[in-house]
Amino acid sequence: MKSSLTMEQIEGIDVRRRRPRPLPYLLLLPALLALVLMLGFPLIRLVTLSLQDFGLKQQFGAPAEWVGLKNFREILSDDQFWQVLRRTIVFCAVNVMLTMVLGLAIAMLLNRLGKWMRLLTMTGLMLAWSMPALTATVIWQWIFDTQYGIANWLFGRQGQSWLSNPLTFYFVATIIVVWMGIPFVAFTLYAGLTQIPSETMEAASIDGATPWQRFLDIVVPSLKPILLILTSLSVLWDFRVFTQIYVLQSAGGINRDTNLLGVYAYRTSIGSSHFDRGAAIAIVMVLITVLLTLVYLRSMVRQEEL
Amino acid sequence: MKLKRIAASLAALTAVLAACGSDSKDSSAGTTGSAAPTTAASTTAASTPETAAPTTGGSGSGDSIRLWLNGGDTPDEFVNYAITEFNKIHPDVKVNFERQQWTGIVEKLTTALSSSDSPDVVELGNTQAQAFEAAGALQDLTAKKADLGGDDLLQSLVEAGTYDGKFYGLPYYAGARVIIYRKDLFEKSGIEIPTTIDEMLAAGEKLKADNAATPNFSGIYLPGKNWFAALPHIWLAGGDIATQENGKWVGKLSSDESVKGLTQLQEFITKTSGAPKDGDDSKDYLAFCNGEVGMMPAPGWKPGQITNKDDGCPDMEANIGVFAMPGDTAGTTAPAFLGGSNLAISAKSAHQDLAYDLLKILASPGYQKQFAAQGTIPALKSLLADVSGSEGAIAQAKAALNSRFVPSSENWAAVEASNILPDMVVAISGGADVKTEAAKADAAIEEILNG
Repeated sequence: MKSSLTMEQIEGIDVRRRRPRPLPYLLLLPALLALVLMLGFPLIRLVTLSLQDFGLKQQFGAPAEWVGLKNFREILSDDQFWQVLRRTIVFCAVNVMLTMVLGLAIAMLLNRLGKWMRLLTMTGLMLAWSMPALTATVIWQWIFDTQYGIANWLFGRQGQSWLSNPLTFYFVATIIVVWMGIPFVAFTLYAGLTQIPSETMEAASIDGATPWQRFLDIVVPSLKPILLILTSLSVLWDFRVFTQIYVLQSAGGINRDTNLLGVYAYRTSIGSSHFDRGAAIAIVMVLITVLLTLVYLRSMVRQEEL
Repeated sequence: MKLKRIAASLAALTAVLAACGSDSKDSSAGTTGSAAPTTAASTTAASTPETAAPTTGGSGSGDSIRLWLNGGDTPDEFVNYAITEFNKIHPDVKVNFERQQWTGIVEKLTTALSSSDSPDVVELGNTQAQAFEAAGALQDLTAKKADLGGDDLLQSLVEAGTYDGKFYGLPYYAGARVIIYRKDLFEKSGIEIPTTIDEMLAAGEKLKADNAATPNFSGIYLPGKNWFAALPHIWLAGGDIATQENGKWVGKLSSDESVKGLTQLQEFITKTSGAPKDGDDSKDYLAFCNGEVGMMPAPGWKPGQITNKDDGCPDMEANIGVFAMPGDTAGTTAPAFLGGSNLAISAKSAHQDLAYDLLKILASPGYQKQFAAQGTIPALKSLLADVSGSEGAIAQAKAALNSRFVPSSENWAAVEASNILPDMVVAISGGADVKTEAAKADAAIEEILNG
């Protein structure tokens, strides 16, 4: 029965093109269903949580009271929330910038390297990329350990606590995040670079274009679509950074002064048992993420129109 | 153009990646219980010690229960004893023992106890138990109190285990914080056990100067996140964490008395400590084994952890001494924090009867005797006499006579989980202004305690 139905549909598509065609939608259904189940339920739960008075008691079964937008009012009037938000935006901007610049630099390097050195560099990048965030963070944290870390030994700064000062804390966190972000950017841009015809570059250099001019006028415009997409993706990723910050905070540092939005939401909800307020923070975060995603989607759609 | 196709397929691929990523993070922030942070897995050194193997091949369902104990307080041998005893009653039930870290335990219990695969028997710090009792996370044991030890149970821990007249948390062990010191280093420097707090500071300074050749040496080992070490200083100066006034909690850390105590702590840290200013005390026994410590404030069971065979240093035993932290004048002690643990059965446990049998073994004299032998105060009063032999026990008993506790509130666990006190002490260790930091902590504590 199943196969006969499919045959009908296919014939329908071929013969009567103007009729509505249910088959594509039918085929989309399983994926859509999975998405609704996976993302829809947590999202609905998140929204309900943020509108309720939900603490530890409710977590263990007590009925939750509806409080409207009280949780949102509370977080939006909390100085700490705005501090954390500002911090998150700055952290995100710095990290994306570094990731993109260094990633592009390494991609250009890959393009110029000989076969074996390129293979070696790519293997190194691959290893950095394939390492789980948790493992990488723990290793970097050891490197910067106050007493036994190799960084202090190298710089001859015995007893320097990297994590206790927020600025040096973010320095270490930035190293980890950028280090993990570069491989993807570098590989992708390298793939893009190989598609720029060498004739164009050669012609430009014959016409007297300096390397810098060639970079600005040929390489960057050719890579622009990829650069745009990579930047928006990196923004999405770095905005919601969690593991690196959370692990570094457990190793040292002052939580209050080093929280970023993701960790702050977690600490508010699960740490202090204010699941309601934590959910409200998460929703604000989702909204910002959606905004950023729209930028990304727009650049993607424009891409296809080209 | 090829480039466009690459970009397009890349976009498709990365959109998928982005979708996968967003799900795990956003939901862990908001919907509780579903996703614990990734670190939870790493810090959980789950170990399943050898158990008397289930005798039958495939015996029905529900043939395993989970036991959670925290930190290094309970050595593996103790647990093995309990499992062996348990398997005498239930030979075909497997006990899965999972050792948890004290750091972050409130967050972990919050998610674990409310999930459908909750551990069956858990250990809670006595400062944390009330929160979970009030929330209804634990099984009511009121009817079984007599069977579990009744009046023989340590009163202060029974109070921690009781909420609203009902008994949930079975006393597990207690311990007053004491000072562990290196006898040989004291002798080398010609120092006697300090009788006042000023003498203790002087001893710490002298030890640090005499052992300057040892990298990271601490006269007194005071890592910044060990907020327990701040409490005797605060209390000795007449201060407190928070007090209840007219039904509302008022933070007292920025009171003149507390600030005086915290300033004293700051002086102790700057002058004597070589510990990481933002580290915690979970690895202090390793620093001690490494010869980097002259004195350190610690729970009474710490010597047992220092000399443990796995990663400790058994040959250090003869050099370990214990004394109660002295007060302002000779013959007095500084108020000590009275620590301890409670055991409880998760309300969501699917094996209530099995869990109860295991709980009963953990409260039995046979099991509790092990604590007494280790120098830890057991949960049964009838066994207190067994502890009196050791130096550590005498010091603990002395410290316990003048002991204090954190604010007794069901919201206190959230204060601990929010790391307010570690944040404050880390900042003070780094040289920040005491009054400012204390005021910040007060505001945060008031907000949580007053709901």
